[in-house]
Amino acid sequence: MVTNSVERCRMGAWARAAVVFGVFVLTPSAHVFGQWVMYPTPNVPRLADGQLDPKAPAPRQPDGKPDFIGFWQPDRMRDCTPDLASRVRLTQPCKPGDPVTVPNGPASVPGGLPLQPWAAELARQRTADLSKDDPHNRCQPDNYPRVYWLPHYTKIFHVPGELLMLNEWNAQFRQIYTDGRPFPELMHPIYSGYSIGKWEGDTFVITTKGFRESEWLDTAGNPITGEATMTERITRPNFGTLNLAITIDDPKAYTKPFTIDMNMKIMIDTQMIEEFCLENERDSSRLFGPGGGNRP
Amino acid sequence: MRTRLTVAVAGLAGLLITAVPVVAHHSFAAEYDASKPINLTGTVTKIEWTNPHCYFYIDVKNEESGKIENWALELGNPNALLRAGWTPNSVKIGESVTVEGTRAKDGTFLGNARSMVLMSTGRRLFAGSSQTTNP
Repeated sequence: MVTNSVERCRMGAWARAAVVFGVFVLTPSAHVFGQWVMYPTPNVPRLADGQLDPKAPAPRQPDGKPDFIGFWQPDRMRDCTPDLASRVRLTQPCKPGDPVTVPNGPASVPGGLPLQPWAAELARQRTADLSKDDPHNRCQPDNYPRVYWLPHYTKIFHVPGELLMLNEWNAQFRQIYTDGRPFPELMHPIYSGYSIGKWEGDTFVITTKGFRESEWLDTAGNPITGEATMTERITRPNFGTLNLAITIDDPKAYTKPFTIDMNMKIMIDTQMIEEFCLENERDSSRLFGPGGGNRP
Repeated sequence: MRTRLTVAVAGLAGLLITAVPVVAHHSFAAEYDASKPINLTGTVTKIEWTNPHCYFYIDVKNEESGKIENWALELGNPNALLRAGWTPNSVKIGESVTVEGTRAKDGTFLGNARSMVLMSTGRRLFAGSSQTTNP
């Protein structure tokens, strides 16, 4: 088909209009074309100014279940509610309706972690050592549930028979099977553990076992052991938020189960990019090497 | 059009400087001394756009000794910097920059950068410091 000059002219006008729209309308909402890391996310509810509308309704899958697909990062900002203090340790009083910054990960558990004496001593020592033995410093794989409160982005997919979590850090994956299978007879300990998921109404419930022994739950060095069972209850209250209630039952390290209640926020207009820690890791040589040694 | 685009992109970078969370790969306190702030102006000699941290090296003249000291400055990771509006070409070798940050505990010419200002334009770039991250 031959495109005549009028059509070419119209196309040129449309192209110019598109560029002007892109620069002056989309740019303030964090779009920079040409970079995948800043590429616009489609099908996102936006406000009149082009910003994300995080309070828009959460999407649903074709079967009616909530859709968790998205790119997520831990969010320390919570909406203050009358019952928030019963689920999250608040460092300051908050007024219902106001946003409040809450502690991250295990530090957010009301009343603190119910550590067994040996685990309390281990965490005390790790903290006193300024966490220099932290496996994360040495580019080791991150273990669940710690991945959730590290700042690296997680991408979630629903695929047949599984919910799949991909993390930018070391390109890590986690599979949560939803096809009805039982736990394997042999669970050689792994960083992510072995996970089975099912829906209870609009809540996705994940049970995980088979963790590695004595991994770190956080930078403070609180442990998680191979005896742990983790139960996650995940909901998506609105487009911009995942809420996770993560219960850890680890009788070896803790005197009773405890629950970490946290939110993740959706990250739009950006893409997943590999983040291989070992590319140029220098911190561990400074932390462990004789006399440090920061020079190239 | 080109000028407007430049202004728009610069404005975007300015917006993002305060909006993008930092990525910490290690305990800040283990390597850096919060009581030792640094404010250095020098010439960029080398750039490592790498994980888990980017490094910028700058030659700084020691006013007391008159000697040139080559400082290594640790920034956030490439993803954090890209999402904050940086590109690997935002700062070039030979450019003059001013860096605010914190010195290493071991007293070597190593620092953790909080921000970097390009002296030619005055543009301030967020550095992805791990100092402000909750462990």
